[in-house]
Amino acid sequence: MALRPAKTRIAAGAVAVALTLLVAGCSSGKTADGASKTLTIDKTFDLKTADPSRMYEPTGEMVDKALYETLLTFKGGDVSKVVPGVAKLDESTDAKTFTLTLTGTHTFSDGSTMSADDVVFSLNRVIGLKGNPSFLLDGVTVAKKDDKTVVLTTKVPTPALPAILANPALGILNSKVVKAHGGSTTTSDSAEKYLNSQSAGSGPYILSSLNLSSKVVLTSNPKYDGTKPAYDRVVIQNVEGATQKINVQGGNADVALDLSGTQAKGLSGSVNVSSTPSANMIFLLLNQNPAISKITSNPDFVKAVKQAIDYKDLVSIAGAGTSQASGVIPSVLLGALPESGAITQDTAAAKAALAKSGYAGESITLSFPSDLTLNGLEFPTLAQRIQSQLKAAGINVDLAPAPVATELDAYRNGTEKIGLWYWGPDYPDPSDYLVFTPGNVVGLRSGWAAGANPAISSLADKAAAGGSVAERKTQFQDLQKALNESGPFIPLLQPGNNIASASKVTGVVYNAVWTIDIAALGRK
Amino acid sequence: MTAATSVTKPSRGRRPTAARDGANGHPFLRYALRRVITSLLLIVGVTLVTFVLTNLVPGDPVAAALGQRAAEDPAIVARFRTEYGLDQPLWLQYFTYLGNLLHGNLGVSTTTHNPVTSDLAAALPATLEIAVSAIILSVAIGVVLGTVAAYRRGKVTDHVLRVVSLAGLSVPTFWLALVLYYVFYFQLHIAPGSGRLSSDFNTPPTVTGLYTIDALFAGQLDTFLDAAAHLFLPVLVLTLYTVGLLTRFVRTAVLEILDQDFVRAARAKGLPTRTVVWSYVLRGASVPVLTVVGLAFGSLLSGTVLVEAVFSWPGIGSYAYNAASHLDLPGVMGVGLLIGVMYLLVNLAVDLLYGVIDPRVRLAS
Repeated sequence: MALRPAKTRIAAGAVAVALTLLVAGCSSGKTADGASKTLTIDKTFDLKTADPSRMYEPTGEMVDKALYETLLTFKGGDVSKVVPGVAKLDESTDAKTFTLTLTGTHTFSDGSTMSADDVVFSLNRVIGLKGNPSFLLDGVTVAKKDDKTVVLTTKVPTPALPAILANPALGILNSKVVKAHGGSTTTSDSAEKYLNSQSAGSGPYILSSLNLSSKVVLTSNPKYDGTKPAYDRVVIQNVEGATQKINVQGGNADVALDLSGTQAKGLSGSVNVSSTPSANMIFLLLNQNPAISKITSNPDFVKAVKQAIDYKDLVSIAGAGTSQASGVIPSVLLGALPESGAITQDTAAAKAALAKSGYAGESITLSFPSDLTLNGLEFPTLAQRIQSQLKAAGINVDLAPAPVATELDAYRNGTEKIGLWYWGPDYPDPSDYLVFTPGNVVGLRSGWAAGANPAISSLADKAAAGGSVAERKTQFQDLQKALNESGPFIPLLQPGNNIASASKVTGVVYNAVWTIDIAALGRK
Repeated sequence: MTAATSVTKPSRGRRPTAARDGANGHPFLRYALRRVITSLLLIVGVTLVTFVLTNLVPGDPVAAALGQRAAEDPAIVARFRTEYGLDQPLWLQYFTYLGNLLHGNLGVSTTTHNPVTSDLAAALPATLEIAVSAIILSVAIGVVLGTVAAYRRGKVTDHVLRVVSLAGLSVPTFWLALVLYYVFYFQLHIAPGSGRLSSDFNTPPTVTGLYTIDALFAGQLDTFLDAAAHLFLPVLVLTLYTVGLLTRFVRTAVLEILDQDFVRAARAKGLPTRTVVWSYVLRGASVPVLTVVGLAFGSLLSGTVLVEAVFSWPGIGSYAYNAASHLDLPGVMGVGLLIGVMYLLVNLAVDLLYGVIDPRVRLAS
């Protein structure tokens, strides 16, 4: 018994020594630069890959924008005007031949210099992989002219191609490195695994680590030729909107990208909020196929619905940054209609049109994706508000929510009577919105077959042919006026894009293609 | 009589048993073998049910996986269907899946483009780290509270504990997680932000996938402390719910035991309360409690999706949600199978523990 205190002391001493040794022998798991030069960005992930030739999701666009340079690009948030990236553009007047010449010297992260071979390989890889972004270069032939020059040709006028070339999915890869890791320009390519672990580009950052479900870590590229980014290390973490708000307030995140209009309210002090209309456009479609619905295919009924909706009320429930969509083309793109061109509520005209349509109070189904939240706006909330507005106008609507993965089938097969959906630009050019015309993708989804409205088809053909910037603007505005007047679509909202950032972060500018340019963010 | 019994018993019981041992093994091993075979059949059943249910969902995985424009291109759609075997008849897809399963291949996720085994191997440790911590804490707290409530039946303590446990059960975990995060992280600054590590820490080299353990293996004490601190809030939320559940069950189980004659006898003998509680009451109540603990642990492993969402925790729940919402058939199948196997393992462990705790079970088997 007398030995017990001594044993206790010995044991305590041994534990203390062990702990001291443990602490002394420990290395630090912190990054070399510490937190001071680490930028933390909260984003709700939709990330599938960092391989640019396979990537076509918003998170991937932002990541790849930091890793890869593109031939052409946009400056800041202005996506209506293309500027040189690593190349300058010479476009033929018929918009069928695009000559791109590499300017200056561009160095990949392994120190090698970018050449026309890298450009040809990168673009052909996008085409050949038959992945999500392959459609961007549909009908485009890529040829090397010399070590600095590449020529892209198309059979039909493609005035949108310059804007398409600014997409990070068309970022230029180091062809030698990618080929060495299984890269090719066919579906046999196996370089995705490599490109998800390391990048092979010339952008301001290199990929340090990637976990598709939780975190992407970027570090600055020491070989980058441009202005060195302000942050040496960037952590992009997968966080839900509600948590993002708390994180940016508490300092766990420097930038939060997915706040709803409601969440953005009340943020002040050490947090700056940038609220602008996003490039997404939420719309209703009324099926024009009488076999699907005799009611919604009635032009007077369509007119009644258009004039029955209280657009201002919808804007108010969507919150900060949201605006009414004047037409199908969002306000940030060339050819967008001014606010004065938007459809307005006119309850008297709506009643008159409804009476003329012969509508007798039948219930009509409004289908929508129940699990879809766009810029913080939940589709069920919006659908319920539309239902109540139409009810007040004497139109009975039954809501038919379904998970997006399920409802997409009905939408794409054109079997919805009334559908509530959104369209985000595949590329920031108004020609992307020709899908809303008869016989085209979204037109067919609303039962609007080719030839259903020759006047609108004629306007669409003119717009597709291209022309000068001023001509294109007029062409697309004319098309949208006609669509608002007699099309089966009702543009509702451009939901707000709310970006919250710590006040020490500068240069936060929303871009419709890559959300934010990470390398352009600065520090106070 | 005693001598006769001692003579006849070995000849009637033990010797034949010994003979059987030589042919078919120990009774416990036979029991375990039966359980393993049953479990394997159940796993096949799980794959079949998951496969059928996943394919019954209206909707096309192609539409869910490809972008709007890509899904309009027949060549891209054909490549996608071929790559993921979706161009094969359903029955062939199922048997191909089973064949691959025998080689440990769960297919490739259409969402992440990774082998499902890799995805699950990355997600499971994240969930295990919070689930194991939560169940240990919950059992420790729930048993004490449940026992106290039973002993104080009808008194103020019992009523207070009832309210507390019901609150733990009925408060939505998503809401509770957000409130606790706001209070402990933003207001009080005593908890770290979301995620498994602070952004200025590198992920420790992967050994187990459990960041706390891996950080210790790597000798990174600061990473260990940071990872442990990040466990605090998610574990607290899961514990509050599970404690509520266990407190109710332990109270009921202890009340039943308290009315038993052997407990009355122990008390009548004047044994100290601590001895009565530990050696008589809790031992007697442990079998039903163990059943609930097993179920609660299974639930924690598979049902933490909302808590994972709030705390940006990349575990099985988040993976399951993403896979389901993208109609990622290999991902959904993989998660279904993993959860099925985990439930089977937990049930097996519970069954075996019955034998350890209760001699009647041990002797019967």
